[in-house]
Amino acid sequence: MSRKRALIADTFCLKRRRSAADAVAGDSHEGAADIRSSLQNLMTLFSRKLFNDSLPPVVLKHQLYSLHSDRTSVDKQLNELRASGELLMFQLGFDSEAFALVFAEDYRAKVLQGEAGRETLETVEKFLDKLIPGCSDLSFNKEKMLKEFLFTDSEITQLVKSGVLTVRDAGSWWLSIPNSGKFIKYFIKGRKAVLGMVKKSKYSEILKTELEGRRTTSHVKFQMKYHIHDIVGAELVECIQTTSGTVLRYVDGNIN
Amino acid sequence: MLSFLYARQSGLDDPVRLRRAESTRRVLSLELNHNRDVARVHGNGINTLDIEVIDGRYMLSGGSDGVIVIYDLENNSKKLQYSCKTICTVGRSSRHVHKFSVETVQWYPHDTGMFVSSSFDKTMKVWDTETLKPAEEFQFDGNVYCHHMSPVARKHSLIAVGTKDPKVQLCDLKSGSRIHILQGHRGEILSVRWSPRYEHILATASTDSRVRVWDVRRASGSLFTLDQQNGDKSKASSEAVNTAHNGRANGLCFTADGLHLLTTGTDDRMRLWNSATGENTLVNYGKVVNESRKGLKFTVSRGCSPEFVFVPCGTSVAVYGLHSGELITMLRGHYNNVDCCEFHPDYQEVYSGGKDCNILAWVPVLRQPDIEDEENNSKRGGTQAAVNPAFEDAWSSDEG
Repeated sequence: MSRKRALIADTFCLKRRRSAADAVAGDSHEGAADIRSSLQNLMTLFSRKLFNDSLPPVVLKHQLYSLHSDRTSVDKQLNELRASGELLMFQLGFDSEAFALVFAEDYRAKVLQGEAGRETLETVEKFLDKLIPGCSDLSFNKEKMLKEFLFTDSEITQLVKSGVLTVRDAGSWWLSIPNSGKFIKYFIKGRKAVLGMVKKSKYSEILKTELEGRRTTSHVKFQMKYHIHDIVGAELVECIQTTSGTVLRYVDGNIN
Repeated sequence: MLSFLYARQSGLDDPVRLRRAESTRRVLSLELNHNRDVARVHGNGINTLDIEVIDGRYMLSGGSDGVIVIYDLENNSKKLQYSCKTICTVGRSSRHVHKFSVETVQWYPHDTGMFVSSSFDKTMKVWDTETLKPAEEFQFDGNVYCHHMSPVARKHSLIAVGTKDPKVQLCDLKSGSRIHILQGHRGEILSVRWSPRYEHILATASTDSRVRVWDVRRASGSLFTLDQQNGDKSKASSEAVNTAHNGRANGLCFTADGLHLLTTGTDDRMRLWNSATGENTLVNYGKVVNESRKGLKFTVSRGCSPEFVFVPCGTSVAVYGLHSGELITMLRGHYNNVDCCEFHPDYQEVYSGGKDCNILAWVPVLRQPDIEDEENNSKRGGTQAAVNPAFEDAWSSDEG
């Protein structure tokens, strides 16, 4: 295939490097701030009213891949944010690679709001205090809960009841978002519907702007842009740059 | 480019730097060239390719019809248009040909007098290149998926063989017997690879989603298993703990210096590992489409500054930056699935073979010859070389 502009290795672009050398110094700080602002942008796409304000805004990790091209640096910056205690990551369960991201303050606020007035409030508060500044695990096993966190069995039962932990295996639990079942159900349905729309188009491809403007069926509860970031980031559709804009082409061999 | 030459000449730069920069530039401009062709001999898909290490001149290919062909890659004719000819083949009419598909072929690492091929007819044959007759034949109980001989071995001449059996077999070339078995996997072994750095380190990939690294001198089990979560048991579901991939692990490739190991799996992921500690470097290549039921044969470039990985992805070959994880380009040209690809380190060329029975040569194209130069050449009968536009001036005349 003939390319209009040939690929050039970095070593040959000396001029570009010299002028960009000053910008390189402040890169890592800017990088993390960059991801944070993308996360905040994506969180605005999350429809809160749908869940009666009981869920914090949730973004999926692969939605970030559709905004930034370098996946490895996105992963690195996310790990930095998680280590600093600003961001929490959850394993959603329908796909081994789909991780949900929630800001720690939002999570804390919503969970306590949901727990207000219940007898499990104290235990949940204790758990959140232990979790948020220090721990960045996705799942916990019995040993850890009993020895490190000093919870009793009955307290663990209370945490599972309140929705903060879900069963993973005998004696181990995933960290989870309370009331997220509805979210996952609507999300999977919406994803299937949007993919179906792309697949049914002529040649199984559609302009991104056209897809954003299409009328959505009742199956699609989230905003169209939210779903588009999801299918592009998970590589369920191929993103092709054309003169009329970005075209999304359905990739054969998908399970969904 | 001129600055690099000047720096090398004056001693400012290491000689290697110019070589690496030029190799990288050549790899980035790989394209299908209509001047270079490989003779089409196979009647069925091509499963494996191997270029010999010493001269880089001869290439072996093994096909699904059991046929093995040897090509001469060097261009001895003075013409630009060159078709790599076959020197000899072990065809269907030969008495010793494999009955079923040949899965892996490899030249003997120290000279081209010998090569080894393994096939789905449950045998592995050691061939004498001169007479094209097998000097040795090893029988196995199940289909042989892959074999590999260590490229740096001096103290041993072991061939590691991966078959349907979960036990990895080590066969000795000197004595002609199977001397060692490595136990530990629970599924079929789809790929085996010796390290190019240490002659005793072997990596194996299996359908039980695990990749193990062994030291063959140890009597007890593997050195370590590659774990995609780096020991963080909380991230994976309970069944996926301690696995390299979420599906079958079917491709292995060491980098040229042996410090890193690449693995591919049917979960459409490719991972880069530190081969000494087994740590996942967490480089994210994105979705690397992989539907192969057998092993996947891919390759890494040698001698370039950011190294490149060439992976067969469906009907094209994907080129990724090794440490950055970004997709550089897709080499499109095959009509059907690509099964194997091989990198020629001296000329920075890539040869790929697939189910469409073609071997395509991807050659670096750096500068298109000027149309004017070509016309001038044809006028003078091609006797005088085209003058570089940088040295041309407006007042001297062309004639004389």
